[in-house]
Amino acid sequence: MLAKIRCCINMACMKSHPIKHFVLLPICMAVLLTAHAGAQEETLTLAYGTMCESIENFHPVFPAVVFPLSKEEIICFTTFDPVPERTHIFHNWYKRDRLVSRAKLTLQPPKWSSFSSMQLRNADKGPWRVDITDINDNILQTLRFSISD
Amino acid sequence: MDAFLNIISGLRWQDTLDILFNSYVLFRLYVLFRGTNVIRVLLVICLLWVIQKIALGMGLIITSWAMQGIITVAALVIIIVFRNEISGVLQTKNLKSFLWGIPRYQLQTPVSIIVDGAYELTRKKLGALIVLPMKQGLKSSVQGGIPWQGTLSREMLVSIFWHDNPVHDGAAIIQGDRITDVSVLLPLSKRQDLPSYFGTRHRAAMGLVEQTDAMVLVVSEETGRISLFMENRVYDINDSHVLTELLDDQLSDKSTPRGIRHQTVELAVAAMICLFSVTGLWLSFSRGVETLATREVPIEFMNLEQKMEIIRSSSNTVKLVISGASPLIQAIGQDQVKVKLDISKAIPGPNAMGIQRENILLPPGIQLKQFEPSEVEVTVDATVLKQLTVQPTWTGHLKQGLTIVSAKAIPETVMVKGGSMDLAEITTLFTEPISLDHITQSGRISTGFALAKSNLKLQNHGKNSVTIHYEIKQRSTP
Repeated sequence: MLAKIRCCINMACMKSHPIKHFVLLPICMAVLLTAHAGAQEETLTLAYGTMCESIENFHPVFPAVVFPLSKEEIICFTTFDPVPERTHIFHNWYKRDRLVSRAKLTLQPPKWSSFSSMQLRNADKGPWRVDITDINDNILQTLRFSISD
Repeated sequence: MDAFLNIISGLRWQDTLDILFNSYVLFRLYVLFRGTNVIRVLLVICLLWVIQKIALGMGLIITSWAMQGIITVAALVIIIVFRNEISGVLQTKNLKSFLWGIPRYQLQTPVSIIVDGAYELTRKKLGALIVLPMKQGLKSSVQGGIPWQGTLSREMLVSIFWHDNPVHDGAAIIQGDRITDVSVLLPLSKRQDLPSYFGTRHRAAMGLVEQTDAMVLVVSEETGRISLFMENRVYDINDSHVLTELLDDQLSDKSTPRGIRHQTVELAVAAMICLFSVTGLWLSFSRGVETLATREVPIEFMNLEQKMEIIRSSSNTVKLVISGASPLIQAIGQDQVKVKLDISKAIPGPNAMGIQRENILLPPGIQLKQFEPSEVEVTVDATVLKQLTVQPTWTGHLKQGLTIVSAKAIPETVMVKGGSMDLAEITTLFTEPISLDHITQSGRISTGFALAKSNLKLQNHGKNSVTIHYEIKQRSTP
């Protein structure tokens, strides 16, 4: 029913790859020196999360809550700041409360952006949500959207 | 003994009522027709019926057939031959007599008045024919007659048989202390050996005595002699004391306590025979031919813990194979066969529940042969409340160049009541589809909720609507 997952490690990799598969691309903008101080007290924080049509220049393009089926692919984009230590998060894709896909993404200190995407098919019309959870399955944010005709 | 106890324990209240009612009807028929020839013929018919059944059981085909024919004809014969007695019983009885009254024979018959009256008639040279019925009815033996219903007195007797009285020609019937009928025609005897001085009155008296157990007192108009006819014998009365003794012997027995006791015993025996007969008839019907039947009975799940509900069951009915007498099988009502399953110990989730014979309730007299299934899987769930986030369901096409960048539901969350298992996998309450076709700018829209399962209930103070506030932007080049 849905797309597959694939991981890339930088934007160049993502741009050069056709969007037929599920893509995982960590975007690293580390500012090591500033983040180092006081890292022990900081906790993993989801600074921004949205559903969008694509990513350009490390930013989500056309964020929305309703996507037409003609877009063929949608992306769940998340930015974490700070990231105290290397860790993992999950993007859990649900269609009508049924788990469809679970993407494990790696985060690197001091802050990190990552995304997962879903290739759309005709049967995917309807309400969706993505639960963004940490490594302990705590829900950090839920993004809700619909796939329309 | 066990079989008897089994039958007794299998009696339903309807069976008891059935037997008692019909026994009473039979007893009432006996009481109404007691003393008539109808009851004797009926007894003969019953005897023939028993013989016919025995013959049938023994395989005596012709005997059985002949008895059956006789019974059929006899039923018609009773109606035709005894129509006078039947109509007499039906016409003269009032409602009390029909339903519960028990007539007593000739209670307190004033013998002295009859004797005095007879001698007064003799002195006045008046002929008289006085009938004193005993147990047997007279309706089938006598003809005509005019109802009189007068209190018996010496003067009344003289008056009835006075020459100029229009009803003097015929017999007067005395029952108890009343003259019930006058001018009654009695059957004439055809005997050739009667004395030559016997006139028509004597011959009529003898004729009745030959056919019934009644006593007939004749006063000769010519000679003034008094004759008492009873039990096919003639007593010439020369002394009033003799007449008194003879009458007392026959009549006083009925009015004494001993006579009343005798009648009471007779009625009690008749009542018992009626009861046994009807019980036997009922047994022959109800315990006669065994019938097998199949019933599909819904399972009643009992004692389910509060806050729990049945989600599903592998089977909601049990197929029973039952046996019993055909009338009992046919009389079984919907609510008389039950399958009750105690699920008080059921825990949330699937529970395998065995069905035992004790779980199946049948009316008395019905046996359970087999049943299936012997086990059902009952899935129960606890009722819980859960807060669900409301999410709009968008459908249709949004106008080209527009995009919905945000949507917020008011209320954002709703409490939903339902089974814990059902709600375990549910975190979102979706709205009914909201069409995008006519949306061109930001705004709000109201819609309803689309519950995922029918057994879920909204706890939203009766409100079943949600308002979606949405923001629309023009798509621009990124």
